[in-house]
Amino acid sequence: MPESATERRGEVLGRTRRLFVRYSFAFALMLAIALLIANLVKTPNFGWTFELASLAPLALAAMASTPSIISGGGGFDLSISPLMALVNIVFVFYLAPHGLGGVLGVIIVLVLGALVGTVNGLLIILARVPPIVATLATYFILIGIDLQIASSPRELQGSTWISHLAGTVWHIPGALFTIPVPLLIWFLLSRIPYRSMLYAVGSNDATSFASGVNVARVRVAAYALGGLFAAIGGLALTGLVNSAAGTTASSYTLVAIASVALGGTSLWGGRGGLFGSLIGAITIYLLQTLLSSFQVSSSWLEVVYGIALLVAVCFGGLVTRRRVAPA
Amino acid sequence: MALMRGGRIATPAGPADAAVDAHIPLVRVTNVAKAFGATQALRDASFELRPGEVHSLIGENGSGKSTLVKILSGVHALDRGTVELGDVEVNAPRTPREAQESGIATVFQEVLVAEARSVLDNIWLGVDGLLRKRVPGSDKRARAAELLAELLDRPLNVDTIIEELSLSDRQACCIVRALVRDPRVLILDEATSALDVATRDRLFEIVRRLSKQGVGVIFITHRLDEINELGDRVTVMRSGNTVAVLDRGTWTSRELVHLMTGTDRLVQHAREESKPLEQRLGDAVLSGNGLRLHPERAAFDVTIRAGELVGVAGLEGHGQDLFLNALRGGGAVDGVVVAHSDGDEIVVGSPSEAAAQGIAFVPRERRQALFAWMSIRENFAMPTLDRDNRMGWLSMRATRVRFSHWAKRMEVVFGKDGDRITTLSGGNQQKVLIARWLAADPRVLLLNDPTRGIDIGAKGDFYTLLAQLVDEGVAVVMLSSELDEHVDLMDRVLVFREQALFRQVEHESLSRAELVAAFFGQDAASVVEA
Repeated sequence: MPESATERRGEVLGRTRRLFVRYSFAFALMLAIALLIANLVKTPNFGWTFELASLAPLALAAMASTPSIISGGGGFDLSISPLMALVNIVFVFYLAPHGLGGVLGVIIVLVLGALVGTVNGLLIILARVPPIVATLATYFILIGIDLQIASSPRELQGSTWISHLAGTVWHIPGALFTIPVPLLIWFLLSRIPYRSMLYAVGSNDATSFASGVNVARVRVAAYALGGLFAAIGGLALTGLVNSAAGTTASSYTLVAIASVALGGTSLWGGRGGLFGSLIGAITIYLLQTLLSSFQVSSSWLEVVYGIALLVAVCFGGLVTRRRVAPA
Repeated sequence: MALMRGGRIATPAGPADAAVDAHIPLVRVTNVAKAFGATQALRDASFELRPGEVHSLIGENGSGKSTLVKILSGVHALDRGTVELGDVEVNAPRTPREAQESGIATVFQEVLVAEARSVLDNIWLGVDGLLRKRVPGSDKRARAAELLAELLDRPLNVDTIIEELSLSDRQACCIVRALVRDPRVLILDEATSALDVATRDRLFEIVRRLSKQGVGVIFITHRLDEINELGDRVTVMRSGNTVAVLDRGTWTSRELVHLMTGTDRLVQHAREESKPLEQRLGDAVLSGNGLRLHPERAAFDVTIRAGELVGVAGLEGHGQDLFLNALRGGGAVDGVVVAHSDGDEIVVGSPSEAAAQGIAFVPRERRQALFAWMSIRENFAMPTLDRDNRMGWLSMRATRVRFSHWAKRMEVVFGKDGDRITTLSGGNQQKVLIARWLAADPRVLLLNDPTRGIDIGAKGDFYTLLAQLVDEGVAVVMLSSELDEHVDLMDRVLVFREQALFRQVEHESLSRAELVAAFFGQDAASVVEA
């Protein structure tokens, strides 16, 4: 019977749609797996430790950009990349040489990151500056500070442990001590009301306010959280490059945002998550390694990023589109 | 006073402690005023809510009901006056959170949901602190499921993402959101307008039960029958003032209308204003051939003739919206829509083809059709700007002239035509939107619930306008969720049921009972007057 066949097809489509709605990173995940296989085939001696370490700053930048976007209201944080650079520079120029290259130094940079994020949040909430403008301002300010302090690059001295973050710790790739931290924090946040409030605020702030949620506080905390994650990214970056230079301050800004979008997080807020951004970052990273293994020039790389982003977002939109709008 | 204790949300309000303070009003509002910019929304409003009563608050749009409710809910701050909750005088709650902590829970006119979140999250939204849960997860689940089942008369999976639900079910979730807070004061601001009939009846049952337990209910609706059914007292508002407080049994519908508007013009007169049907009925202008709205439902034919006023009715979600959408060229599962023009038959395959055939469509959601940041004049003129072309330049003067013509005809109340559209009341916004499409001289006007949420005065003007339009030979197809509009206004009503045309009822045999019977798939004889 043709009718029941249509029905079955409709049901399968409906189930797929729900799956993609629930796991909005599904497409990026499929892409990442395919790229990983391609990489492994092309480069049989794929160096996991090194690749993970080079992935880490991008992955953390992407995850750091996510909470502010989820918080909605046009939420956006452009200052993540220069903030990571600032953490890197402060650690290399001030903390490590003065014997603060250990736990205390880590705590200091984490507080610094959260603080900068909080300032972003307060600018947006209290001064009512649109997020893109507010964080663009802090972006320029931070880049200026970065260049001021680190006008010439400097090698890291006085801290040896941090390079293990890009190497191995007891045979475990060091990156596995940085990348999962935001995920762990994100998971712990799901055990308290904050995280679901963040999503609710991002989904509809008017509803949340009228229901008694302190929308301002939730949003400021989202930026602070992004700043905290950026600080972890700064540490991963320090481990990777073992030096600091002001000129790299803006390198992760837009790729991080691309990773978030690729990972299925809605730029309108309320949908998506940290894990998706990680997958998005992995996809972009693997795309880059694959293409460079084919000696494709880096200018084409940018074109491919753009196309991949468009394809992923359009595909996501197509799959999750409702067949009939509800009355 | 128990009312002011924080964190009482999780503990059910017992009937016993309600009885204790039965003589002290739950809410007393005295001489409250509130202005938004130049608009004085509340001038001098006084209002009292006793424990255990259902107190209706009625008035036209712009009379200040919603503003009053929003002050009590902590959304707006008041300019002058006092608000007492129990025997504690406070300057009204400063945030929605404070209002809730004082035991006030509100269901707002807008269906407020966080679309991407689950039903459960939506219902308990705002109860917890940022870091600490105030109600354990298992209790949340149980309470939400229990109240939803009671309200909907069927279980609803609380993990469903709320945007998957119908409008009616979403509003049910908003109501449950208020109920789980175990309020002392429950405010229902137009909460019933998005509900289907059966859910509304069950809501009324819950409201009656709560008021027996001593909960005070502030009930706002545009439907007088609901006030007659539920209200213990009525406070009537007009232009920001409270003009009367009436006890049950001392009001009549006509009197309430009179108090609200200052006139007692009712719907019935509108149809009498137009010529008899035989004189205005013209040739067929639009027909649907073999229309099918759902793959498994029957196809049907429909013909709309010039000069007739056709109602589209049915229980919510039974295909009325799909039908209207098909007529405007939005497509159906099967069948074609054909426009008739001077003997020619033109298939209407897209909304732009429909527009070219003089078919104008006014959607249900006013907000979708408004350019909120633009002026009244621009909102009016947007699709017909080419008419204001003077030698290749846009003439603002020409637009002005055109707008003032329609503004006069439709009695739009406005300051300057350059003011933002959002400075108008809902009814006046709707008039501007309808004028927008009338300015294109349509042959067919499709309206989707145009009077939803507009006040009685504006409705009266609107009915008069419809009468004039059909006299001029325009065919009007109007989806309405108000039975009275169908009974009093329409030449013919198409009743939809289960995504198909179920019955056509001619004006002579229109009655509330006939329509409700058709909604439920029965003959009028078997159903009592609704």
